[in-house]
Amino acid sequence: MGLGKYIARRAIYMVPLIIGISIVAFLVMYAAGDPIQLATAGNPSITEAQRNALREYYGLNDPIPMQYVRWLDHFVHADFGKSLYGGRPVNEIISTLFWETIKLQLVSILLAFLISLPAGIYSALKQRSATDYTISSIAIFGISVPVFWLGIVLILVFSFQLGWLPSAGAHGAPYLWPVFGIRNETLDELVHLVLPATVLTLAGLAYNVRLLRAGMLDVLRQDYIMAARASGISERKILYKYALKNAITPLITLLGISIGYMIAGAPITETVFSWPGLGRAYVAATLRLDFPLIMGITMIITIMILVANLITDMAYAWIDPRISIE
Amino acid sequence: MVALRRNKNSEKTMKRGASQWAVAWRRFKKHKSGLFGLGMVIVLLAIAALHTVIAPYPARPAPDSFKPLYEGEAAQPPSWKHPFGTSVMGTDVYSEVIHGSVYTVYVAVTVTLITMLIAVSVGIVSGYLGSYVDDVLMRITEIFLVFPSLLFILVFARLYQLRNPEPFWNIFGINVPAGLTMVIVILSIFSWASYARVIRGEVLRMKETEYIQAAKSLGASSRWIMLRHVLPNTLSQIIVLGTLTMAVAVLLEAAVSFLGFGDPNTITWGRLMEEGLQDLSTVWWVEMFPGLAVFLTVLAFNLVGDGLSDALNPRLRE
Repeated sequence: MGLGKYIARRAIYMVPLIIGISIVAFLVMYAAGDPIQLATAGNPSITEAQRNALREYYGLNDPIPMQYVRWLDHFVHADFGKSLYGGRPVNEIISTLFWETIKLQLVSILLAFLISLPAGIYSALKQRSATDYTISSIAIFGISVPVFWLGIVLILVFSFQLGWLPSAGAHGAPYLWPVFGIRNETLDELVHLVLPATVLTLAGLAYNVRLLRAGMLDVLRQDYIMAARASGISERKILYKYALKNAITPLITLLGISIGYMIAGAPITETVFSWPGLGRAYVAATLRLDFPLIMGITMIITIMILVANLITDMAYAWIDPRISIE
Repeated sequence: MVALRRNKNSEKTMKRGASQWAVAWRRFKKHKSGLFGLGMVIVLLAIAALHTVIAPYPARPAPDSFKPLYEGEAAQPPSWKHPFGTSVMGTDVYSEVIHGSVYTVYVAVTVTLITMLIAVSVGIVSGYLGSYVDDVLMRITEIFLVFPSLLFILVFARLYQLRNPEPFWNIFGINVPAGLTMVIVILSIFSWASYARVIRGEVLRMKETEYIQAAKSLGASSRWIMLRHVLPNTLSQIIVLGTLTMAVAVLLEAAVSFLGFGDPNTITWGRLMEEGLQDLSTVWWVEMFPGLAVFLTVLAFNLVGDGLSDALNPRLRE
C-alpha cells in the first residue's frame, strides 16, 4: 500500500474518534454546571433575568444537541468561538499560548531524549557497574518524584534562596532578568525556561533511560547478538548496527507519545511555574467552566495526539522493516 | 558470556517441590532495593493504621486540629513540637501528613483494584476469544489510549466538585469520602487501557502453549480455561503491573488535588500542597513535607515493583 493511501486511510479513521471525543467532552462539560451561575455567584445585585439574558447571548439556552451541532459547524470551519470570559476569540487565545507551551515542552523532550541515549546504553553495557547503579537509581528517583513538588523545591532553592533564577512566567518584560548583568530579551526568555525545562527534562529522562536500558539488556541477550559476537564482528558494530536499532524502537514510540501528549501533560508544570501556556489556561478554563476554551484546547490536544501516533507508526515502520504499515 | 552465566543460575539446584511463589520470594529477598521499598510500604501501612494514635493533633475539621493557632503558633517553621512546622491557618503539618496517609493507601489500593479488574477482564477475554470480540474490545481500548486523560480527569473531577451531593458515604459504619472515591473511579477509568494491551499480549502468547491446547482438546469450556489456566498464569504479570499502578495512582491523585480538582472534604497530601502554594515564599515547609511524603510513597511502590518484576520474570533478570 502506498504511503499516501495509508495516511488517507488513517485520517478517515480519525474522524469518528475526534467526533466521539468531542461529544464526550461536550456532555461532561454541560453536566458539570452552568458557567453563568458560576461566574455571577458572587454578585448579589444580579437578577435571574440578567443571567438568562447572558445565557441567551452565549447560546446556552438552546438544547444541547443543537449547541453541539452549532459547535461542530464552527469547528469544521476552524473556529472555536469566543471565550465566555472577556469574549476573546478562542483561536486567538490558543495561538498565543500554543507557542509558549510548545517551546517549553519541545526543549525538554529533546533534551531528555538526547541525554537518555548515552545514559541508557552505557547503563546496559556496564550492567551492575557503579555507573549503572547511579544511573538506575537516579532514574527510579526520577519516575517517583512528583513533578510539581520537584518544581517547588527548585523554586525554593534557586529562586527564593539563591535568587539566581526567576520562579514564574515565561517573560520578565518590561523588567528583564539580568543574566550576568546583561539585560536582553533573548537571555530573559532563556533564563525563564531553565527551571521548568529542568523539571520536565528530568521527569522524561527517567522514563527514557529505564526503557532504553531494559530494551538494550533484552536485545543483548538475544541469540543473534551472540552469533554476531561468535563471527568476530567488532563490539562497536554489534552495538550500533544490531543492538541499538532494536532497542531504540520502544524509545521512538515513547518520543512520539510524549510529543503527542506534550500539551496534555502541561497543566501541572505550567501551574507550578505560572507558565502562560495552554496547560494553565486549561486548568483555569475548567475551574470556571469556560466551555469554548475547554473544547478548543481539548480538540487541539486530541488532534496532536492522533497525528503524533500516526507519525510514530510511520517512523516505526521506517526503522524496523519487519513492521509494515499494513 | 551470557549463556555461561545463565547455566550457572542457581534455580536448577533449588529444592524440588518449592512452589513458584516460594522461588519468587527467595529471589525477591535478594533484591535489596525491593526489600527496602517493601519496608517503606509496611511503614506507610502502619502509619495509616495507627494514624489517630501517632498524630499529636486530630484531623480537620475537629476544633483541636487548629490548636497551634490558639497557642499563637501559626506559620511556625519546623521545631521539636511541630516537626513539619505549622500552616498559616494554624494546623500542625506533621499531624496532617499522618492523617493524609490513610487517603493515600485508600487511593493506591482502590485505583489498582478497579484498574486491574478492567484490564485483566478485557485483556484475557480479548486475547483468548479473539475474532470479533477482540476487534471490538481493542477498538474501545484504543479510544481510551488516545484520550487526553489528564484533561478528562480534570473535567470529570470538576463535574463532581460542583455537583457535590454529599461529602461522605456511610458504608458499614465507615465514613468513605465521596469526592475522593469519585476521583478514584475517574482515575481508574482512564488508566486501564495500556495494561489491558499488555495482558492481551501475554494471553496471545499463552494461547499457543501445549497445556492450553490440551485443556481445549479435553473439552474444557472457554470460561473454565480463562479462569483456571489463563488467569493464574498471568498473575505474576498482574502483580507487577498492579504495583506500578499504585505508584502512578498516588502520583496522579496528588497532581489532581494539587491542581485544585480534588475532594474539598478530604485533606490529602496533594490538597495540603494546593493550600500551601500561595504562601510558598513564607511557609515553605507546608509544601515540602507533604510532597516528600508523596515522593517516598511512590518511590516505595516503584522499588517493590522493580523487585517483583525481577523476581517474577526471571527471563528479564540477567
